[in-house]
Amino acid sequence: MPCWLRRTIGFTLYLAPLAVLLTAWQLATQGAPERQFIFSSPLQVGQTFYDLLLSGELLRHSAVTSFETFVGFVIGTSTGAVIGLSLWYYPSAARIARPYVVAIGAVPVFALAPVIIVWFGIGVFSKVMMAALSTVVVAVVQAYEGTMSVEKRFLRLMDVMGASRAQTFRKVIVPSALVWVVNSMKLNIGLALLGAFIGEFISAERGLGYLIVRASGLFDMATVFSAIIMLTVIALVLTRGVEWLERRVLGWRNNNGAG
Amino acid sequence: MPGRIEIERISYRYPGETRFVLKDISLKLEPGRVVCLVGPSGCGKTTLLNIVANLLAPECGNVRFHDGSGEGRRIGYIFQFDALLPWRNVHGNIRLGLEIAGRKPDDTFDEKVITYLKSFNLDETILHQYPSQLSGGMRQRVAIIQSLMYQPNVLLLDEPFAALDFYTKLTLEREFWNLIKTENKAALLVTHDIDEAIAIGDRVLVMEANPGAIIADYEIRFDGGVGRDPAEVRGLPDFAHYFDQIWKTMGLRRNDRVLKDAVLA
Ligand SMILES: Nc1ncnc2c1ncn2[C@@H]1O[C@H](COP(=O)(O)OP(=O)(O)OP(=O)(O)O)[C@@H](O)[C@H]1O
Ligand SMILES: [Mg+2]
Repeated sequence: MPCWLRRTIGFTLYLAPLAVLLTAWQLATQGAPERQFIFSSPLQVGQTFYDLLLSGELLRHSAVTSFETFVGFVIGTSTGAVIGLSLWYYPSAARIARPYVVAIGAVPVFALAPVIIVWFGIGVFSKVMMAALSTVVVAVVQAYEGTMSVEKRFLRLMDVMGASRAQTFRKVIVPSALVWVVNSMKLNIGLALLGAFIGEFISAERGLGYLIVRASGLFDMATVFSAIIMLTVIALVLTRGVEWLERRVLGWRNNNGAG
Repeated sequence: MPGRIEIERISYRYPGETRFVLKDISLKLEPGRVVCLVGPSGCGKTTLLNIVANLLAPECGNVRFHDGSGEGRRIGYIFQFDALLPWRNVHGNIRLGLEIAGRKPDDTFDEKVITYLKSFNLDETILHQYPSQLSGGMRQRVAIIQSLMYQPNVLLLDEPFAALDFYTKLTLEREFWNLIKTENKAALLVTHDIDEAIAIGDRVLVMEANPGAIIADYEIRFDGGVGRDPAEVRGLPDFAHYFDQIWKTMGLRRNDRVLKDAVLA
């Protein structure tokens, strides 16, 4: 079998579940307006998506949500990573921080949302805070775990060479924990998006969360699905971004060796 | 005399343990000489190296460095599994000791690196590769070069060639042996391989366990002298003679123990 054919077949198989789902959905709702009212249909969603795209409305809301997610993600993840890494440097602080981190991590962000909105208003800023809060705990925990799982032999080498604590931190702890930091980023994309979305869902004037609340109130399921598609797109783009970053900073892992 | 080390009557217990891991260990390391340490697993060989490297403090006894320069101890410590940092390329790893000393690599540094690469039959292009791209033997060579770059007065090696295939091991033993002789370094090498100990050791110390103590001390001499090749001495009649002696020392002790245990039971 020629290579291109095999690749085409592979790609087709990849799309098959989606095609089956869409077809089933379309057939089940075809010519049944009462069902379409509740479930919408792929063709309807496609049409609405296209219209919303042309009117610019979809992109406007997506831009708001992307902005909130991205800025919140960057603030939350970087703050968390810095805290998590520093906890290695100050073990007594780590001991004190542990129960607090566990406690804060156990609080659902959803519960915090009303407080955040009271404190920071219903504008974009409160959603940024929501996204940041949703990500910071995971970032702290992952970065700290990273510093704790540094291989003993690296630390022994630094001791033998007479390295100071600061040198060990810079040359071994941070680079080694970076793998964990990047992993926390992967987890945090979804959490940041969720945080921003919940913020919009509860109270907002813009954003995909707002669009979904408004459209579902009007039983406009096609718009709801269009917004969901955009949420997926945002998550995919951000994931790609983190993967790019991963290749840049963790390139040493990908040089196909034994290690 | 530069780089002479005297280890005097060292005893050690791990914190919170009553059992002595090491009891009354004394030995001397001299420049240009390889001392090999053989002994059963768990007899305290690694612990001893850690004490000499100042990673552990002995309970009694001391480690004296007689270094003409008065710079104190600089240790090169090579582990069984190298500790090359995977996110740094080979050059970055070799530079590590210098960076920690707060200095920048200069021309003489790079010349030195290249000389060492040659003596270990490594190509210069390796400098830009990452540890994961190297074979086990190459990594171990790089680890040795890394430790040589901060001019240690003593090299400690903990089963450095144990994870390598036989041929690579022979090659590395030869390169290592030549290096010790030309650079005039003192070396203490732990191995569980009696063959290896005789082939590259100027002295072989045999340890027993519980508590770790040196029970025999062999001066190894072949007629070949300085030009001897660790791979070739394996065929000499003297070699078999040393092997027998060391094997008996280790085996007899083991049998003694077994007998004693049997009688006590
Ligand atoms: N951190 C530690 N705490 C308590 N006991 C230890 C510790 N490290 C080693 N030991 C004990 O000390 C003894 C000597 O250990 P060591 O690692 O020095 O042996 P070794 O001769 O290097 O053995 P091997 O040939 O297996 O590497 C062993 O009985 C071991 O169980
Ligand atoms: Mg050991």
